[in-house]
Amino acid sequence: MSEQIREQVSAFLDGELPSSETELLLKRLTRDPELRQSFGRYALIGETLRGGSGASLSLTFAARVNRTIDGEPAEPVLPAATARPLRWWRPIAGTAVAAGVTAVAVVSWNQHAAAPGVTAAPRVIAQNVRLATVAQEPLSYTVPTPAAAPAMLAPARLTNYVFAHSKYSVGLGQGNLLSTLLSADADTVQSAAAGAGGNASRASVAPAVSRATQTTP
Amino acid sequence: MRRVSRSRAHWLIPYAAAGVLSLALGQRSGAADDARAWLEKMNQALATRNYDGTFFHLSEGRVETMRIVHRVKAGRVTERLQSLDGSGREFVRNNDELTCFLPDQHTVLVEPRQDHGPFLGSLPRFGADVDEFYVIEALPASRVLGRAARVIAVNPKDQYRFGYRLWLDENTAMPLKTQLCDAHGQVIEQILFARLEMPETIADADLAPAVRTEGMRWVRQGPTSEPAAAALSAYRASELPPGFHLTVSGAQTLGGASVPAEHLVYSDGLATVSVFVEPDAAAQANTSATPSAPSEPMMEGLARVGSGFAFSTVVQGHQVTAVGEVPAQTVEFIAHSVKSFPSPPR
Repeated sequence: MSEQIREQVSAFLDGELPSSETELLLKRLTRDPELRQSFGRYALIGETLRGGSGASLSLTFAARVNRTIDGEPAEPVLPAATARPLRWWRPIAGTAVAAGVTAVAVVSWNQHAAAPGVTAAPRVIAQNVRLATVAQEPLSYTVPTPAAAPAMLAPARLTNYVFAHSKYSVGLGQGNLLSTLLSADADTVQSAAAGAGGNASRASVAPAVSRATQTTP
Repeated sequence: MRRVSRSRAHWLIPYAAAGVLSLALGQRSGAADDARAWLEKMNQALATRNYDGTFFHLSEGRVETMRIVHRVKAGRVTERLQSLDGSGREFVRNNDELTCFLPDQHTVLVEPRQDHGPFLGSLPRFGADVDEFYVIEALPASRVLGRAARVIAVNPKDQYRFGYRLWLDENTAMPLKTQLCDAHGQVIEQILFARLEMPETIADADLAPAVRTEGMRWVRQGPTSEPAAAALSAYRASELPPGFHLTVSGAQTLGGASVPAEHLVYSDGLATVSVFVEPDAAAQANTSATPSAPSEPMMEGLARVGSGFAFSTVVQGHQVTAVGEVPAQTVEFIAHSVKSFPSPPR
């Protein structure tokens, strides 16, 4: 990323880039996937440095980004490249296993070994957030028990659940879900569409609610 | 449905303590009321104004660029959400019909949509029940897109739900930037506008999909006329995290399935979790005259879906999956508590 673009990105994330330059930056970003990834990392570093609130800034964002990128790696160490696209939904063990299954990308849901409960959960949140920064490190929630045969699941099935759920998701969550679905990996949507088409002879295809009744809580 | 067993009751202690504390603190502050008023203004703007903007959707170190166009004309709402990153995918909602253009898959999906919320989503009105589980506060003002912005935080009081931070345009109350955060305030997902215009009028052309649909496969979903899944009607969560209650229950046929699944929706007023209960496909095939679908294996475990989680388990030979924009422990808790009841509890 050139110094000029870096400064533009910094100014944009600080809310101070003039709109004419924002247009240009936007065009660049939509054309250049690598730049988009860098931008994503910058945005994340920005949030880290801002301490999340984004409200109190003492140093300029650019200065802090430069310090982070060029200086000692006191802040989270960034992966050299995130060329491998991240799936919008992922198995928690981080291992997408395609063993013996054709065409459709298959994900293994590893047996959840820990006893049901909340003890491990705060950690999982922290780990997932960390994943956002250190994108390539495999995520592990519980150590999968090797003996347990993981159930295989076509992405279409999860996509169907999420699509059906998005209808009832209230608030900003729904906007996020739709954006997520819109940007889902091609193979995920492909299998969802294939699942729908493959069942065209049946009465129902694609995810949809056939009947729903409001109940009073 | 708010029953909490003794074994889980200790979870309630911090929550109860927080409740007592908030009672002790008494009146809401003026700042919180102001924050609430701004959220209302945002909802109003999202639902009733014309807007055309481009935003970044940042999640898990990944960035997607999207365009949103929203028009309200003579009481009709038309909305278009378009991916600008090469796939060419678009969603168009015309009042109550949602059309998904998937040119990379040569497919168009059409389905009725009863919900009328804007694509960008709004926040529900904050009633007393939501107050029990979230704290709304105004943060110091900031700038986004070179515009003055009000910053509002909706913080969860426990670990069963996510929170939001919103940067609202001082002039229009439109959300220029929104963040989904966990209970520690860590950002999980972010939407950031790069351009946002609010024109008086929006031309039809701006709402027409850019996708050429010749030769594409149209998959249209009308309301189906399947009989109610009587055998399934009795599944419910027996225990729920504090504040969640059943808001919707119904039968639904998911893509690729031969029998309807029961769909239950639980909400705390802000966060929503769907629970799907499906009979074992293989067992179903043995007892019905319809040709058996290729049976999918039962699943067990946790997966990330966008910024939320899905947890799947098997209950009495049924596949139970909870999905929602909530922390992992919430979907896990709910899925594990699903049981069949002699008759659907109310």
